[in-house]
Amino acid sequence: MESQQLTTLTGVIDKKMNRQLKQYMDICARCAICKDACHQYVGTGDFKYLPARRAELIRQIYKKYFTKAGEFVPALYEARDPDENLLEELYESTYACTGCRRCMYYCPFSIDTAWILSVAKSILIAAGMGNEMLGQLADAAIFKGDNAEMFEDVMISGFKEIEEEVRQITGNPEAQVPVGKQGADVLYVALAGAHSIRPAAVIFEEAGENWTISMFEAANYGFFYGDAEKARLITKRYIDEAKRLGVKEIVVPECGHAYRVAEFFYEAWSKEPMPFKVSHILEKVDDYIKSGRITVDKGIIQGKVTYHDPCQLGRNGGKFEQPRDIVKAVTDNFVDLTPNREKQWCCGGGGGIVAMEEFTKTRLASGIKKVEQLKASGASVLACPCENCRLQIEELNDIHELGLEIWQVIDLVVAAMPLPGNKKAAE
Amino acid sequence: MSDEIKVDLELDLKGLLCPLPMVKVSQNISKVEVGEVIRAVATDPGAMADIPAWAKSTGNEVLQAEKVDGEFVFLVKRVK
Ligand code: SF4
Ligand code: SF4
Repeated sequence: MESQQLTTLTGVIDKKMNRQLKQYMDICARCAICKDACHQYVGTGDFKYLPARRAELIRQIYKKYFTKAGEFVPALYEARDPDENLLEELYESTYACTGCRRCMYYCPFSIDTAWILSVAKSILIAAGMGNEMLGQLADAAIFKGDNAEMFEDVMISGFKEIEEEVRQITGNPEAQVPVGKQGADVLYVALAGAHSIRPAAVIFEEAGENWTISMFEAANYGFFYGDAEKARLITKRYIDEAKRLGVKEIVVPECGHAYRVAEFFYEAWSKEPMPFKVSHILEKVDDYIKSGRITVDKGIIQGKVTYHDPCQLGRNGGKFEQPRDIVKAVTDNFVDLTPNREKQWCCGGGGGIVAMEEFTKTRLASGIKKVEQLKASGASVLACPCENCRLQIEELNDIHELGLEIWQVIDLVVAAMPLPGNKKAAE
Repeated sequence: MSDEIKVDLELDLKGLLCPLPMVKVSQNISKVEVGEVIRAVATDPGAMADIPAWAKSTGNEVLQAEKVDGEFVFLVKRVK
């Protein structure tokens, strides 16, 4: 390895290693408890996916360049250079990780392997080995932000089409998908697809919310790619929009990482306080139901219903009860998966892995714990508030012939609302 | 317009939700040679912004992005 590149890569570690990460470098006891917590290791049995092994690659470089023992007796302390072999293994183990942090939950020292792997992503990007697909998706989002006027017409015509559907469903010819509404209380930052806007619009309109739709999507591939600056720029698109419109609250859609980015990471990336309240759409919906702003009927959703906690919303976002309360409001036939909440198994589809074709085999094998849980529940309907999780579970559903109906939570809510459009569909 | 342009790869992206249509175009662009064209048909309106933004930021070219009978039809030329 050229000395210039070595300096760059060790410089990345030097810059990223704060006290907490240094502690993680020192304290792993190699007890391997984390191995049984990682769906990817359990599903594949592949050593490179063992959480402690993934972190060990960073630890080896750290020992070589940041500890005296590793510098002088590298063989004894398993200290290594970030050579081609190490970087190749690091790429595989890092970009495959879904960032679910289940390993951290079970680790006796709470070592946050996903955080260590965020350092690994910075190293890989500096070495020109960042994942190309995630990088492209992040750049496309930044391009949309820098050239918003180029996409305005096409976005607005899409919103108008959705507005027509909302009017049919609600039976309200005045219902709107408001665009660029100054003085709105809520800016809803959806995903790019109509499926994320339509049911939310129905609910907002029925709840009488003073809302407006964002011109940008909440998904953030800069976060998955591992580049904090790209991730900040992608988020900043809707923060600036929210400032322009003078809203009080930003509401993010059924997307696990979008919630975590807005609620927990943006402040750290931008080094300024988040100027708005951030809510997940399901917090709003739960509140609308409990306060009587919308009405849902039990009995419309047929069959036993279960719920999957997306890792970024549940274990890493702390939102366990509101989604469950919503599901229980639309059915008396709810059954939880086992285990659940903070112990919930990752479905295997997070961290941007569904966009990376090279990990398809690993991804599908890693879903086996989720398949077992779903089968054991005996449910025929799954409510799942994350796009990546749904894509993964839909594929598992087909392969393992689970026969599940898989729903967004807000779609379940709209289906359970006494709306003229729903009755028409049922007739 | 599409009648005049030779299509080298057809992608059926109907039913896929955004950003998957953009992901699929990106995954498949290396399957055609530089100068060749992918024809992609999507049904999610979000693709009308996503695919052109992806093309611009990766230096590829969208020759056509049109709504035809409720579907969104793209002709994407690999430039590099
Ligand atoms: S559980 Fe924690 S301490 Fe044990 S091997 Fe895994 S990371 Fe190390
Ligand atoms: S964060 Fe999840 S996928 Fe990554 S190593 Fe830990 S358990 Fe495995």
